Amino acid sequence: MLCANAFDKEGFLCDLNDWNPDVAAQIAASENLQLSSAHWEVISLLRDYYREYDSSPAMRALVKYCALNLGADKGKSVYLMSLFPGSPAKLGSKISGLPKPDNCL
Amino acid sequence: MDCVNIIAKDDALVLMGDGVYAALADTDASKALQDTDAKLYVMAADALAAGVKNLAVAVSCIDMDGLVALTETFPRQQAWY
Amino acid sequence: MTAAPKKTVLIVLRHSPYGSGLAKAALDAALASAAFDQAVDLLFIGDGVLQLQPDQDSTSLGIKNMGRRLASLPLYDIDHVYVDAQAAARYNMDLSKAPLHTRQLDDHEIHQLMVCYDHLLGF
Repeated sequence: MLCANAFDKEGFLCDLNDWNPDVAAQIAASENLQLSSAHWEVISLLRDYYREYDSSPAMRALVKYCALNLGADKGKSVYLMSLFPGSPAKLGSKISGLPKPDNCL
Repeated sequence: MDCVNIIAKDDALVLMGDGVYAALADTDASKALQDTDAKLYVMAADALAAGVKNLAVAVSCIDMDGLVALTETFPRQQAWY
Repeated sequence: MTAAPKKTVLIVLRHSPYGSGLAKAALDAALASAAFDQAVDLLFIGDGVLQLQPDQDSTSLGIKNMGRRLASLPLYDIDHVYVDAQAAARYNMDLSKAPLHTRQLDDHEIHQLMVCYDHLLGF
């Protein structure tokens, strides 16, 4: 369990190196989410995205990246919304231990 | 690049920041530098960031400690923005 | 909200990736335009071509890797990227390894390209 000061005021990790799967579950719980294998698939993909592009994706890029890597049926905003309600790019990034996407307009 | 006209054999030139692009192999800039016969150095961290991997042969990579060592050898230094 | 009318925008990048904040500002502008569904294309001229240098690794400078960030642009449907061929040759660049798929243009073609857009945004 990480203590509250490991997170910024929006709940994003201050030090990205603090992330591990337990931390992901902790962040998810604070957002009232229970992580399923479908969540983990997207979390792993978000972390790949960050390694590849040195940034967190906005929604548009996340949808396209999921379509490319997980198939067309999962590369849809409805599907991502069902996993990470509200703002999938922002909530998904938060749980995956990535910085807040800067271009969430 | 007017510093190229001034430096000579016993001088040392350190490329840093955007200066590292002058170390790219087979460019007019690196050829002109090599023709001066000065000792040529490039800051490793800046070259790495810029993706300047293919260094001209006469250029040596240095880190911050290397830069400090050079300043001990060369009491007179001129920054060239 | 009604959709903004589509205007064509060309972002013109003329500066190196880490020498100033301009490269990052250009990238932010491109991403913001994409977020508003505006069609943007990119043109790298002069020292701007250095943003496309392969294998950038800015870890030791503690700043974001501009090459890798540029590579994400196709995911925002930014697919048309043009490069000043003369500048790329001056820096002996291998554009086949660049983070984006590019089309090389000579000076005359660059002029022809620039007059095709509703707006130019220079960085």
